[in-house]
Amino acid sequence: MWIEALIAVTLASAGAVFLSPNKVAGKIAFVLSLLPVGGSLWMYSTYEASGNALLEGSTLAFETNADWIVAGPYSLNWHVGLDGISMPLIALTTVLTSLALLASWTPIDERQSQFYGLMLFLEASLLGVFSALDFFVWFVFWEMVLVPMYVLIGVWGGPRRKYAAIKMFVYTNIASLALFIGFTALVFGLGDAVNTFDMAAVAQALRAGELGALGPIGAGTLKLVAFVAMFVGFAVKVPVVPFHTWLPDAHVEAPTPVSIMLAGVLLKMGTYALLRFNFTMLPDIAQQNAQLIALFAVISVIYGAMLALAQTDLKRIVAYSSVSSMGYVILGLVAYTVYGMGGATFQMVAHGLISGLMFMAVGVIYNTTHTRMVSDMSGLASKMPITVAVFVAGAFGYMGLPLMAGFAAELFIFLGAFGAFEGSVLFTAAAMFGIVIVAGYLLLAMQRTLFGPFEIETDYEVSPAAFHDVAPLVVLILLVVLLGVDPNIFFEMIQNAVDPLAPAAGGGV
Amino acid sequence: MAALSFELAPVIAALPFVSFLIALLAGAFAPRLLPKGGAIPGIAATAGSLLLSAWAALAVWNSSEGVYHESITWVAGVGDAAFDLHFGILLDPLSTMMLVIVSLVAVLVHVFSLGYMNDEGETGLPRYYAGLGLFTASMLSFVFASNLLMAFMFFELVGLCSWLLIGFHFREPGPPSAAKKAFLVTRFGDYFFLVGVVGVFATFGTTAFAGSESFPHLAEQVLAGEASATTFLGLDPQAWFAVLGLLVLGGVVGKSAQYPLHTWLPDAMEGPTPVSALIHAATMVAAGVYLVARMYGFYALLPQVLAFIAFVGGFTALFAASMGVVKKELKQVLAYSTISQYGYMMLGLGAGGYVAATFHLMTHAFFKALLFLGAGSVIIAMHHNENMWDMGGLKEKMPVTYYAFLSGSLALAGIVPFSGFWSKDEVLYEALVHGLDSPLLLGAYAMGLLAVFFTGFYTFRMVALTFHGDPRTDTARDPHGVGWNVKLPLVVLGTLAAVAGLVNMVPVAELTGAHLEFLHDWLDAGPEALTAHHYGDLLPYSSGTIGTELTTVLLSAGVSLGLALAGAGLAWKLYAVADPDEHTDKLGSAKTVLFNNYYQDEYQVWIATGLTLPLARAADKFDQGVIDGVVNGVSSVSLLSGSRVKRIQSGVVTNYAFLLTASLVVLLVAIGLIGGWF
Amino acid sequence: MVPVQYYLLVSAAVFCIGVFGILTRRNALVFLMSVELMLNAANINLVAFSRFHGNLTGQMFSLFTLAVAAAEVAIGIGIILVLYRNFADVDVTNATTMRW
Repeated sequence: MWIEALIAVTLASAGAVFLSPNKVAGKIAFVLSLLPVGGSLWMYSTYEASGNALLEGSTLAFETNADWIVAGPYSLNWHVGLDGISMPLIALTTVLTSLALLASWTPIDERQSQFYGLMLFLEASLLGVFSALDFFVWFVFWEMVLVPMYVLIGVWGGPRRKYAAIKMFVYTNIASLALFIGFTALVFGLGDAVNTFDMAAVAQALRAGELGALGPIGAGTLKLVAFVAMFVGFAVKVPVVPFHTWLPDAHVEAPTPVSIMLAGVLLKMGTYALLRFNFTMLPDIAQQNAQLIALFAVISVIYGAMLALAQTDLKRIVAYSSVSSMGYVILGLVAYTVYGMGGATFQMVAHGLISGLMFMAVGVIYNTTHTRMVSDMSGLASKMPITVAVFVAGAFGYMGLPLMAGFAAELFIFLGAFGAFEGSVLFTAAAMFGIVIVAGYLLLAMQRTLFGPFEIETDYEVSPAAFHDVAPLVVLILLVVLLGVDPNIFFEMIQNAVDPLAPAAGGGV
Repeated sequence: MAALSFELAPVIAALPFVSFLIALLAGAFAPRLLPKGGAIPGIAATAGSLLLSAWAALAVWNSSEGVYHESITWVAGVGDAAFDLHFGILLDPLSTMMLVIVSLVAVLVHVFSLGYMNDEGETGLPRYYAGLGLFTASMLSFVFASNLLMAFMFFELVGLCSWLLIGFHFREPGPPSAAKKAFLVTRFGDYFFLVGVVGVFATFGTTAFAGSESFPHLAEQVLAGEASATTFLGLDPQAWFAVLGLLVLGGVVGKSAQYPLHTWLPDAMEGPTPVSALIHAATMVAAGVYLVARMYGFYALLPQVLAFIAFVGGFTALFAASMGVVKKELKQVLAYSTISQYGYMMLGLGAGGYVAATFHLMTHAFFKALLFLGAGSVIIAMHHNENMWDMGGLKEKMPVTYYAFLSGSLALAGIVPFSGFWSKDEVLYEALVHGLDSPLLLGAYAMGLLAVFFTGFYTFRMVALTFHGDPRTDTARDPHGVGWNVKLPLVVLGTLAAVAGLVNMVPVAELTGAHLEFLHDWLDAGPEALTAHHYGDLLPYSSGTIGTELTTVLLSAGVSLGLALAGAGLAWKLYAVADPDEHTDKLGSAKTVLFNNYYQDEYQVWIATGLTLPLARAADKFDQGVIDGVVNGVSSVSLLSGSRVKRIQSGVVTNYAFLLTASLVVLLVAIGLIGGWF
Repeated sequence: MVPVQYYLLVSAAVFCIGVFGILTRRNALVFLMSVELMLNAANINLVAFSRFHGNLTGQMFSLFTLAVAAAEVAIGIGIILVLYRNFADVDVTNATTMRW
């Protein structure tokens, strides 16, 4: 019942904030958002589960499985539960939402109650996505995420907010269609073997090779087509090059807290779903096409980093670097080793924290300077020392500095991917070159904006940021260091959950 | 007793880390509570580290195994054939020696900073001391790291500290840029290092340096045919290990500023001078060479890689020394000299002179830290003017600095009996005897030998221009005085630079037959697999001699001493006069090339800004134009077709009714045709 | 007994008259009457099949249809009244403001 309670409390908070007056909506929302944070931390501390939620022999934490709708031969269940893959993401979602709410106090100055209400509604949907284990429940939450996101960008965004919001919505919605068709085709292809949309049942049936023909399409083709459809559907969300172009537009137009949620949690929906659907349910297809998928990953890493290098807007730099970082996740997933897949999951959390941190820091700078163009500012370190210090720490975290979460995640991915499949050595080595380019563009941007003589054209005094702007930054950087020094906080449970997936592979180290 | 000193090993690194935390937190919240801006906690912490390191060294010497090796599991692998990642401490003769060197130089640099930073009224001192503390902690952790992964992690962290400290004066445009360059260039090397670390894991399942489950040991067994290992890219073990060795070497070349990744070090001189002494001369730059020494059991198995190391080292020694000849700024000369000296160490390691290179690493740490601190003292006196042509005649004004600096210079130039002579001579001797059988190595030796002449020249040009002749500016006539906190480190290091060579006087030992090779004994005191003796057995080299062994030793020493004296004498004759000339015009067109550092910076900057940036912009254009163009194109096409199709929505009900009816008819006919009604 | 085909023919004829009315007439009232014709054609079918199968369900449905048709007429007349108020006419081709 804890997951239901978590979602219900968050939804109720959203409703309460909707009705509250604008002036205090931010404070109420932040205080209420501490409830799910406390809840998820309590769940983490009492977490007891083993194995992968979708495979045989697993025990789940906080599981509920109840009949919901019976339609013809198919029954749809309310099935939620956590394993080592979803637990860290639940914790990430609650913590990051709270901090994002805190980071909204300064930039959001109109329709506050609606804004904060939608943010909490977004959180509730995300919690549902990460805990649902029945396809229909999952899909409802998956689509529910888009609604607040669309409104948040479209109402509180920058000058081109409508373009960005519609692009995001339509792009990802078409992707949802692809994945929906892909998955339902698989279920229908299973025929009488499975008459539920329960993800575990479907995954186990597919892995047992019970897929039959669907109409004129043979089982082999059906698998491939479904894999491609679902891959494309999730790749848009991740995003994988070449499906990434909605992301920078959305980020640039979105207000800071929405960017934090977008980069920190929403992108992880894509990789999480890839892991749960494509890589768990159709491992043979994934492994047969490992080189192709790894190629997508490497292109995302290198091409995303090159694009970041060319940008002149701080937020676009961080946005493109997300494309680059998520490429590592794909590489880790396709490795099919405990380190690779575990590292990919760990990277979801690590990148969630670090990219959230970076967007937040850029937002704090923007609140003060009212510009994000690299060429418009110089020497901010003289005026906002703590913000700049955290920015620097976050940037080094992004570059994969050891003892910070990003390094641990990337190291695990590289360790897992190296030698995992034919040609993986070269793919891994190529992807690793991303760590040089990321250092290049972040150091260059920092040198130009933060250091050197102080220069910025404003008609007011540039002053250090307020406490409630800096506090979430400091909390995030501490979390990043904590996870970097002791990855086992999450990595042990992640390993436990991805371990049953790994033996499917022949290779690995 | 011994056990306790080993148990306290983590404290060696923890103490400076605590001083970092104190400087950071107190600097942010209560700057007034921080004594001397953080210097006092820093000095106390590094002094504590020094004592503990010395105690650990003593314990290593006294213990029966000569080693302390403990590790904790950082991340445990899950599943079949998975490997664990460890943090560990490896104390053996090599690492404890390095611990003592690092903590000693760190203490002295902290003391010196009191004079260079505090007394000069710098702002942001807590940040400075926090950086120094974090650096010392990371460097010490790197030194006692028991495995390659941990070494890599702290290797990166010292890079961060280097970035922080080079860019200490961030309000000026130069230092941030230099800091960026330093980090980026070393990062480029570290990329290969990281691939190497991952490769070592994939190949051996461990990265431990020592023990029966260590990768050098496993590699040895594999090559001896006693075990098997996974190799990749279809290479046989020998070739694959060579690839791994070269990959790790990438990090070494970057960090130890070897050609072609040496370009960051001269720029790094933008940092405060004590930082240059600690990080960019004595310790961090040594990390690369130290790493090769640390895993020498692996490199000793790989003749191609050894030859590569030796050649890169010899070339860098000569290449950098030749650039040092024309520099105008004191710290620039020292920077190129540092690159050149690390070239010698690489030459020594590549040529099979494990002890010789380690010896040079030690003596160089002392005399180069000394020279930098001496330069710092001169810079204080000259009101932060570093141009040697504005100095002159400082000898009378600052005798302590002069004599200390002279001791360092004699050591650097390699004049008997100062420390540099013994160590450099041993490096060259090893290269010579092993080179007599290997032309490639002999070439590297020749370059190293030629560099001796240049070294003598630029060293004494520097001494003469700075301290001798007539003062050339008003500042030089009336220099700023320096306090005890500057003089004390100079005196300590000056003494060490003069006498540190006594620990391993090979030529004297050969001549007299007395047992004087203490460093050899020290490095042989560890466990068998980590001793110089064992490395000697592994090495693929055979030694040749010219005449007897004694004549070879004497010949080698004599030639290098002669060259050093010749270079020094020439510089002395040209520059130690009342009003020296530049003399650089005599070099002709070579002058421009040398002043521009062989255009090394230019081509690297071109790669960054002339190649990568335009490529990135082109990628951006492609992204915005083609990929996003397709996305926007799809939306335009949809909008356009929508605006066409919507025309059937005419608003006339009759038309709708017609469409309905017509569609129904069409549908019926179609169904009829398919169903076979007609 | 009259065979079911005759009822169907009548029903088809009535339906076609209704369709013809909708396609050619402009007066909204005639429009409405034509719709009624089509509905009644369906009713004839329902009743005829009901009798043919000896099952009362069809007749039940036709009763439903009558009720729905009555409701529809009420709404239809309402629409026509609004149409007249706005356009001063009950010609359906005049009211073309609801288009793209």
